[in-house]
Amino acid sequence: MSKKIEKITILPGINKYGKKENFEKIDIKKGETIAIIGHTGAGKSQLLYDIERLAQKDTKSRRKILVNDKIPDREIRFNPKRKLIASLAQSMNFLTDVSVRDFLQLHLESRGKKSRQGLLEEVIEEANKITGEAISPEMNLLNLSGGQSRALMVSDVANISISPIILIDEIENAGIKKEEAIKILVEEGKIILIVTHDPSLALNTDKRIIVKDGGIVKILNTSLKEKGIAHYLNWIGNYSLDIREKIRRGEEIKNIEIYCEPIKFKNNT
Amino acid sequence: MKFIIFAGTPGSGKTSIIKYIIQELKDDFKLFFAKFDCLRTSDDERIAKEYKIPAVKKLAGELCPDHYTALEIPKILKENQDKDIIILETAGLCLRCSPYIKEGLGINVLDITSGDPSRYGPILTGADIVAVSKGDLISQAEREIFRAKILKVNPTVKIVETNGLTGEGAIDIAEYIKLSPEIMSKKLTLKHSMPSALCGYCYGNKIVDEKEEQQRALAGKELKNLVPNLNCGKCGFKSCNEFIRAVLDGNTKKEQCPFIK
Repeated sequence: MSKKIEKITILPGINKYGKKENFEKIDIKKGETIAIIGHTGAGKSQLLYDIERLAQKDTKSRRKILVNDKIPDREIRFNPKRKLIASLAQSMNFLTDVSVRDFLQLHLESRGKKSRQGLLEEVIEEANKITGEAISPEMNLLNLSGGQSRALMVSDVANISISPIILIDEIENAGIKKEEAIKILVEEGKIILIVTHDPSLALNTDKRIIVKDGGIVKILNTSLKEKGIAHYLNWIGNYSLDIREKIRRGEEIKNIEIYCEPIKFKNNT
Repeated sequence: MKFIIFAGTPGSGKTSIIKYIIQELKDDFKLFFAKFDCLRTSDDERIAKEYKIPAVKKLAGELCPDHYTALEIPKILKENQDKDIIILETAGLCLRCSPYIKEGLGINVLDITSGDPSRYGPILTGADIVAVSKGDLISQAEREIFRAKILKVNPTVKIVETNGLTGEGAIDIAEYIKLSPEIMSKKLTLKHSMPSALCGYCYGNKIVDEKEEQQRALAGKELKNLVPNLNCGKCGFKSCNEFIRAVLDGNTKKEQCPFIK
């Protein structure tokens, strides 16, 4: 089983009016983070879906996805035990009436993996880094808040559904520390694709793919300046999350401190 | 000819995904769609209008809808010898009956929010394909757990994640349909026997009482031996069984059947 992915390639399909997409190919290399940008209904989730199922001109968009320049075999496309892709969808509702610990154990088994001492505790610990409200192993899954559910799933994707490609659909609706979440997911040279409307997330990537009317219309490389702007925006977001936690704890908010350490670039000119 | 049966609980999204599958197949194959239901449906008309394919509705009325489906299958086949693919949607009530045909393809549309799949009987264990619906409502982790649970009760089933709103998965199911065998032999076999329906309640008994039930069962069986069991409709009822119930309820006379002298 070859799980070594050097790159994936998107070959053009058609937009919703049947017009061919205007690019030759898009290469996404190991370690890159890509934002998928566009209005509601523009085709962002379709693009994620094409990548998730490694489309071979067999989806609405007629796009083709190559892995390491080759057509991937059927087995890696559909068998979850061999799947290359983990995805975090918009909805994070749970339905199974079990404890957090048992749920993680079940998921581990369904992926055909063996647990090791302390793994489940590590998953929960990592989740707690990105949510303000701590999760404990004995909590019932059905009682988790939206933020806790998201945090748990981020950590699950990073530690249980370990996959070289990660797709994230609109993580910003969550009430979790976004930058921390992305940090947990991005490590070890994975390919990350994020559908997002959030400016700090969108600008903190390597490339942005812009979609409109069901087709890819533009590909932008993120500039250093944009990464700097992302850093400021993220600081504001986390600051606001801190205040939110204080309010929830019943504290009074007396003043606001706007001071953000500027990002330092090595070759800043 | 290929023969495809879709089964699944009401509201699981059978019709939605069938529409996308018909969309995929209609240009290359001659299709026929039969919708079974209990009391009323207009899905057949909607599909006929939208996709310009012949369609029919079959209402079970007083009969067990899955038994009724099995009773009607030979007629549907006889009337559609010129078609390439027959798509049959069951009323979707019974987890136990679900008349899948061995020679054809059985597809269970399974709502992911409907709980532990191990509770289901032949509707899931007898299926060739499970179309898991509404997966977009839950996380990938839970979807994977659900998948593992399905494979525990039906280890050889093909699982396709579908979305009735966007049509996700329809292409995969259409592919499986294209690869499915033609029904060669004239005689079709059910994958599993259906539960017996021989008690007084089957003959329309409404009083919850041992004696009443037994009397009705005896009277019903007696009539069952007299009628021709051809479901010819000459008595004014859709089937012999419905006629028997009407006689026992006092709504008609047994002489209405031209075969009873």
